[in-house]
Amino acid sequence: MKGLIACVMLLATGWSVAAETPAVSLYDLEEHLVLQDGRSAMLDVHRGNKVLITMFYGGCQATCPMIIETLRSVESKLDATGRQQLRVLLISFDPEHDTPLALRDLAVARRIDTTRWTLASADSAAVRRIAAALEIQFRRLPEGQISHANVITVLGSGGEILARSTRLGSADDNLVQALRGR
Amino acid sequence: MNNKMVLGLVAAFALLTSACSEREAAAAAKVETGGSLKGDFGPPQGEPVNAVLTSPPEVPPPTNRKHPAKVIVELEVIEVDREIAEGVTYTFWTFGGTVPGSFIRVRQGDTVEFHLKNHPDSKMPHNIDLHGVTGPGGGAASSFTAPGHRTQFTFKALNQGLYVYHCATAPVGMHVANGMYGLILVEPPEGLPAVDKEFYVMQGDFYTVGKYREKGHQAFDMQKAIDENATYVLFNGSESAMTGPRALKARTGERIRMFIGNGGPNLVSSFHVIGEIFDKVQYEGGTHFQENVQTTLIPSGGAVTVEFHTEVPGNYVLVDHSIFRAFNKGALAILEVAGEERADIYSGKQGDEVYLSDKLSDLAPVAAAAQAKASGTLTREQQVKAGEVLFKGTCSACHQDTGAGIENVFPPLAKSDYLLADRRRAIAIVLNGLSGPVTVNGKNYNSVMPPMSQFTDDEIANILTYSLNSWGNAGGTVTKEEVAKVRATTERAEGAAH
Amino acid sequence: MNATPSRLIICLLAMVPAVALASGGRDVPIAGGRFESVLPASATTKTTRVAPYRLDTALVSNEDFARFTRANPQWRRGAVKPLLADSQYLRHWVSPTEPGKAIARQPVTHVSWFAANAYCESRGARLPSWHEWELAAAASEEQPDARADGAWRQRILHWYSSSARGALPDAGASPPNYYGVRDLHGVAWEWVLDAGSMMVSDDSREQGDPDVTRFCGSGALSLEQKENYAMMMRIAMLSSMKASYTSGSMGFRCATDVRASR
Repeated sequence: MKGLIACVMLLATGWSVAAETPAVSLYDLEEHLVLQDGRSAMLDVHRGNKVLITMFYGGCQATCPMIIETLRSVESKLDATGRQQLRVLLISFDPEHDTPLALRDLAVARRIDTTRWTLASADSAAVRRIAAALEIQFRRLPEGQISHANVITVLGSGGEILARSTRLGSADDNLVQALRGR
Repeated sequence: MNNKMVLGLVAAFALLTSACSEREAAAAAKVETGGSLKGDFGPPQGEPVNAVLTSPPEVPPPTNRKHPAKVIVELEVIEVDREIAEGVTYTFWTFGGTVPGSFIRVRQGDTVEFHLKNHPDSKMPHNIDLHGVTGPGGGAASSFTAPGHRTQFTFKALNQGLYVYHCATAPVGMHVANGMYGLILVEPPEGLPAVDKEFYVMQGDFYTVGKYREKGHQAFDMQKAIDENATYVLFNGSESAMTGPRALKARTGERIRMFIGNGGPNLVSSFHVIGEIFDKVQYEGGTHFQENVQTTLIPSGGAVTVEFHTEVPGNYVLVDHSIFRAFNKGALAILEVAGEERADIYSGKQGDEVYLSDKLSDLAPVAAAAQAKASGTLTREQQVKAGEVLFKGTCSACHQDTGAGIENVFPPLAKSDYLLADRRRAIAIVLNGLSGPVTVNGKNYNSVMPPMSQFTDDEIANILTYSLNSWGNAGGTVTKEEVAKVRATTERAEGAAH
Repeated sequence: MNATPSRLIICLLAMVPAVALASGGRDVPIAGGRFESVLPASATTKTTRVAPYRLDTALVSNEDFARFTRANPQWRRGAVKPLLADSQYLRHWVSPTEPGKAIARQPVTHVSWFAANAYCESRGARLPSWHEWELAAAASEEQPDARADGAWRQRILHWYSSSARGALPDAGASPPNYYGVRDLHGVAWEWVLDAGSMMVSDDSREQGDPDVTRFCGSGALSLEQKENYAMMMRIAMLSSMKASYTSGSMGFRCATDVRASR
């Protein structure tokens, strides 16, 4: 609980970057995902839509609940059409524990709308590559938990990396602008 | 009241007011500038300015601005192999290709857009921490740059002053020790007073595996750096950076300002210019100044602004006055001042004559006697003259010039029955000393005379000859051979010279 | 029936390289164990455990990588996706599939993490983790762990003091260390599997990071063994490089888990 409060207080700040030009596409990586409903898909499962993408894991007590709230907060800043067309993709660092069943339970527990939000896992090699492309640092600690950075990235309809933010809690304006623009 | 009183009153009033304004001026000089809280002059105005960066020892011109601007700084990190001393090369990591790195000059309140570029041939990643930046790491966290890449961050210069910048990539000590430091001047809003010349000098300590001036390419020695055992202490990254043809140049009658930094990594500098006094020292690179300073301390990772006016031509040597660093590790630079002589201020050498010490003013007779003896022409007169000099140099301390001794302490030699009675004994006493009770001329003495065997046989012969012929003593000569015989047959006293 | 003996001979011949490899040609086994790393396992647990692994004895060479690009067109210069490698990828090669005779045996450089990763995966291997690399690199020619020896530390520091402009030696040219591994010092930087996750602050002077939430439950790692300058520089270099970046001083080698069968 203390940790959570500390998280909230400290990460109300954080930084964000409007992407440098030219924008590079995340979908250059062709990775296999397993979704929460058990289906297989590729990383570009939401090609054609703008996407908020981030990484997390189910066993994370400290900031991962905050990530979901932050994503919701960004979503809420869009108009109805924007929200309709937005897709949110959360990829787990922990394929061993975050099986489709576990992800489904998580979606229920957090009241996630799975028509537009997708929880997914990938094998450890794919996780490593996706994290490298999204510049999300993570490391499994001997105590068991996974230490990781919190980064939310906006992808264009072709997977272009448009904006990134480490801010947790409130919606980062750079993300909102990237979703609205172009 | 009459005119005189009025005049007096006016004069007194004038005096009082002038004294007041002097005190006011003095008080004004110590007024706080308000620091960062008062250093934000609002958003930048006008067109963005591309900062003029200079290589040491040059300094960019004053900004001559009256409003805050956006200043764009582009600084490249490049790793270069270069001479640190004659015949000794070192791989320096540099900002702008030089040690120290380029000089950056902005005005308080400016918004600086900082671009750091790391040359593709660099082996290392680098970043920058500018001491004039208010913000985490002084910019280091925001400028971490891999080889072949460039990064950018922006800061507002809230505080005026002269600040060090340096690389802060791990291991920081090594990056700094390899020359990654420089200065950024944040001018006060009113600018600095005009001077004739400005120079940029930065001291640094260097640590090499080889010894000082050991030829060849030298590598960085980590243990020496940790032990703070510098191999070189240098101004501007090389022993010859500002010597010989590269000496700094100025003329007499000029007001000189020097921006002096100390990159470290370890050593504090005791900065001094031989032959000059600093008229003004903005200690630690801050706002207020001290006057009339000979040597000023520059902390490692700090800076100072000094000013002085030149009057006399000549070579003025910049040193770290921890003096072995100047003469054995290279902390030395030259300012050549040309111009007309000023004999009224400094005359140069005005005379040079022979000088002999008071005590040994004339040892000539001793030498003459020795020579004469060797050539077989020694006369009693020569012996007496020589013996006099020697006696006055040593024996007279106790026995007095008059040979009278000191009553109850040191026996007399003048008309001394003890001395004149036994020649051989007299020689032995000079050689070996004498202690215990003696009766001389009816008086008892019980003192210690140390052995004088440090004298040569010639010298003892001459001393005794002098004694025999002085103060009314009857006369006679003692020869070198007699002394030699006695020396050979008597036991040497403990501690006596051979 | 006649074909069987010749098939047998062919099988036997095919096994020879495999046998040669298994006996320590291309890679060697390293037992691992408890290890005090410059990069601690966590803020609270300093000691790392390294499971047994096999490590390539030499850096991957230009000609090794050329074979890979010929078999995998998507990894050729000009064809590679921008997410996966920057504009300097393999720029020193004569053509997208040919390094040129002069540099063929030198360690390949100007490759991104994604490219190095893909090469190792094509061999059924992977990049070594930082700790696996560091453990192997702690060995001198005689000792498994020479890091307490100040003279050895100063010797390997030499490479970091010199310019990057000199020519590279051939891959595998340096003498083998205690484990039989070569090229770990004095040749090139090396990609590792977790290069993008060194978890150290960009300002390396931040030690004892008070921001324990920076990485969801832990702060940035503080570097241990501060006199081990060589390792600190390796970590600094790796943490400055994004996965798509290339550098003329950065190469790689591969590793495998011990459990993996040939």
